[in-house]
Amino acid sequence: MKGKLEPSERQKLIEEGKNLKEALTTLEEDLVKLRDELQIEAQCIPNLTHPDVPIGWEDSSKLRNMVGSPRKFDFPIKDHLQIGKELDLFDFDAAAEVSGSKFYYLKNEAVMLEMALVNWTLTEVMKRGFTPLTTPEIVRSSVVEKCGFQPRGENTQVYSIEDSDQCLIGTAEIPVGGIHMDSIVAESALPLKYVAFSHCFRTEAGAAGTATRGLYRVHQFSKVEMFILCRQEESDMYHEELIKIEEDLFSSLGLHFKILDMATGDLGAPAYRKFDVEAWMPGLERYGEISSASNCTDYQSRRLGIRYRPSESPSTTSKKGKTNLAATKFVHTLNATACAIPRMLVCLLENFQQEDGSVIIPHPLRPFMGGVEAIYPKSR
Amino acid sequence: MALQCRLSGATFQSLKLATIPISSSSSRFIFRTLPKTLNLALFSRHSAPKAPPFSVLIRTLSAPAVAAAPAAETSDIKVVKPQWNAAIDFKWIRDNKEAVAVNIKNRNSNANLELVLQLYDKMLNLQKEVERLRGERNNVANKMKGKLEPAERQKLIEEGKNLKEALTTLEEDLVKLRDELQIEAQCIPNLTHPDVPIGWEDSSKLRNMVGSPRKFDFPVKDHLQLGKELDLFDFDAAAEVSGSKFYYLKNEAVMLEMALVNWTLTEVMKRGFTPLTTPEIVRSSVVEKCGFQPRGENTQVYSIEDSDQCLIGTAEIPVGGIHMDSIVAESALPLKYVAFSHCFRTEAGAAGTATRGLYRVHQFSKVEMFILCRQEESDMYHEELIKIEEDLFSSLGLHFKILDMATGDLGAPAYRKFDVEAWMPGLERYGEISSASNCTDYQSRRLGIRYRPSESPSTTSKKGKTNVAATKIVHTLNATACAVPRMLVCLLENFQQEDGSVSIPHPLRPFTGGVEAIYPKSR
Repeated sequence: MKGKLEPSERQKLIEEGKNLKEALTTLEEDLVKLRDELQIEAQCIPNLTHPDVPIGWEDSSKLRNMVGSPRKFDFPIKDHLQIGKELDLFDFDAAAEVSGSKFYYLKNEAVMLEMALVNWTLTEVMKRGFTPLTTPEIVRSSVVEKCGFQPRGENTQVYSIEDSDQCLIGTAEIPVGGIHMDSIVAESALPLKYVAFSHCFRTEAGAAGTATRGLYRVHQFSKVEMFILCRQEESDMYHEELIKIEEDLFSSLGLHFKILDMATGDLGAPAYRKFDVEAWMPGLERYGEISSASNCTDYQSRRLGIRYRPSESPSTTSKKGKTNLAATKFVHTLNATACAIPRMLVCLLENFQQEDGSVIIPHPLRPFMGGVEAIYPKSR
Repeated sequence: MALQCRLSGATFQSLKLATIPISSSSSRFIFRTLPKTLNLALFSRHSAPKAPPFSVLIRTLSAPAVAAAPAAETSDIKVVKPQWNAAIDFKWIRDNKEAVAVNIKNRNSNANLELVLQLYDKMLNLQKEVERLRGERNNVANKMKGKLEPAERQKLIEEGKNLKEALTTLEEDLVKLRDELQIEAQCIPNLTHPDVPIGWEDSSKLRNMVGSPRKFDFPVKDHLQLGKELDLFDFDAAAEVSGSKFYYLKNEAVMLEMALVNWTLTEVMKRGFTPLTTPEIVRSSVVEKCGFQPRGENTQVYSIEDSDQCLIGTAEIPVGGIHMDSIVAESALPLKYVAFSHCFRTEAGAAGTATRGLYRVHQFSKVEMFILCRQEESDMYHEELIKIEEDLFSSLGLHFKILDMATGDLGAPAYRKFDVEAWMPGLERYGEISSASNCTDYQSRRLGIRYRPSESPSTTSKKGKTNVAATKIVHTLNATACAVPRMLVCLLENFQQEDGSVSIPHPLRPFTGGVEAIYPKSR
């Protein structure tokens, strides 16, 4: 229409232009809706799976490794609840009045033990090159979703804050994952290794059955979490590193545990591969999960928008005239529990109980408890 | 129209209230003996709110625990039922009404003492009436047991029926009166220690000053700049992930927080306090009983969606709740707790300059001391708590002053409150790092915590009676042993060195694995 035209020709073109414009607007709206629907559906697609992962449900999980063996007791053993009662270490009853079921106060040496576990774990993991962090425990719900959790699903594990788009975290994985969201990190910065201490909050909605006594399943707990962002080629290697760190930590505390390669039905959407650590809990007479190490490859990073720019290759191959900026790639993310306090307390109390009712403190923790070697029954 | 309950502190709470319907037919028996209109002063009581200055460890004037209901100045307003009752001594209030009135005025509270006294009177009268009617009904019932003419029997049956209806109505009215009395009386603030200065922040009295501001011979940085240069915090990432006034601590700041918490717990335990960690989600009723207002406008309290639960703003709340609705043995007192928890505060209504960096945040770690004791001993334990704080902060090498807070700054629960303000050279002013309150029986009347005095050796015991002494209400006190973010501000700003490093106070070094300073990292 920029050129010189007869009026009737111009008019025809104007008509045509108008029709095209309307058609375009409609199509563009449809395109937006389609993209939205595509996103919603595609977000449901779970991460790929490592070829070595067994296919099936919990029974199909494969034993990777077992460390230690169940301690033989020559006296009747107590579970952690009874030990806690006799040594005045927790109060579930007062907490039920003040807050509700599955809440608790820790008292006396249990407080010192929690502090010691957190401090020792942080120290040990820092030695391995992880940057220590404490994190917000209230986060925007969008960040929760980008990490692969569902704040508003039925039976959600996530507490929401009234009149706000914020939630409580169920794990420090969420706020740590959020640190680099929507950004491009330099390749030279990778791997980024964080060890984060936070309180965690979980509704445990839908959790029923026997495994809910005492400290085994609670709404609030302290946890030290490891988180790695790395290049794509390296995530398998860092997964091995993380599980090795966990193995070292739990062995040095003298625990007996097994490491499982979880089967496909138990992975959860974000994990490419997941190793669970189940420790022997003599009072419960079974193994209980104390830790989990997941390689989420690019599932979380595609949602959180975390990329890295590969350093340039030495360049006979660079194209003439183009800027030498390599295309960005998605990082891979991994997370692993270094210490989940309540379950560690279950393990320590039940495994190291003595006939006289005392509980021995593992050696590595003693410097962090002012040298205290055991928890003794208090004379009344 | 909303009832405004005053706060000490800048945030302003409003509570919507209603009162007994004036002209409903069910009230006819009340108005036979009582004034025709209930006092509507409730709705006309507005003093223009003064604007008191800030205090972080802020407390609201307790408005009672009611479900919010729209209040209108018409006659078909509904009574709102308090969700819990405080064991308030109405008789004592009536017998000491002048002192109570003066106290309310000094505290700039909006409690309506006149209304409380009126309601109390009405309630007593109504109780008498109910008892009288019950007596009459019993008479009728007794008469009906004997042999009677049918006509007489019929008359008695009629009479009995009328009495029963009247009683039911009166009893309902009595319940409503009691509820309204509770609601009004819960607004009355605690009494005040005679030595407390009257007035606002300017009237607070200096009790003690420890140390003096350090002289720097190089330009001083504030904690934000130090944190940036030493890579100790990240506010920007937290703003994206969570919102403003959230932060990550990094590197040595994490170790410093751990060291502060561990050292503080250890020191306070040495003084006979039982260490605790507490739930950080609690029922909202417990929050209210401690003197906070979860659902007021500009509330400091985060609520959990689809639940009656809230996040705690201080461990005082879950610790106060431990012994609620119970009677402790006198021999168990004093109960002394030192509790570590994370704390969450909306800081709604907090504006102005004092909000940079770590000074005002939504989430922080805190070590709190809490004492339950016999009534005669609370003043003594208040002195003990402030002494502990003084010892803790001096040993860290801080310069600070201790203030006896004036009546306008006390908040409803506190009988007396000492604030500690430490020198923050980067902010170029003193900032509150701690608060020690004696709440006497204010919280315990709401939480229902009593003790049974041990029996006295007894020539005085009455023959034939069981020797159980009447219970008394405990006194409660609370004091901040360590509020981590403000301590970090103090440590970073006061102990910065010219080379950009920060020295770690000696007492903390064993708890940082021997680390003596935070050094700039080479890049």
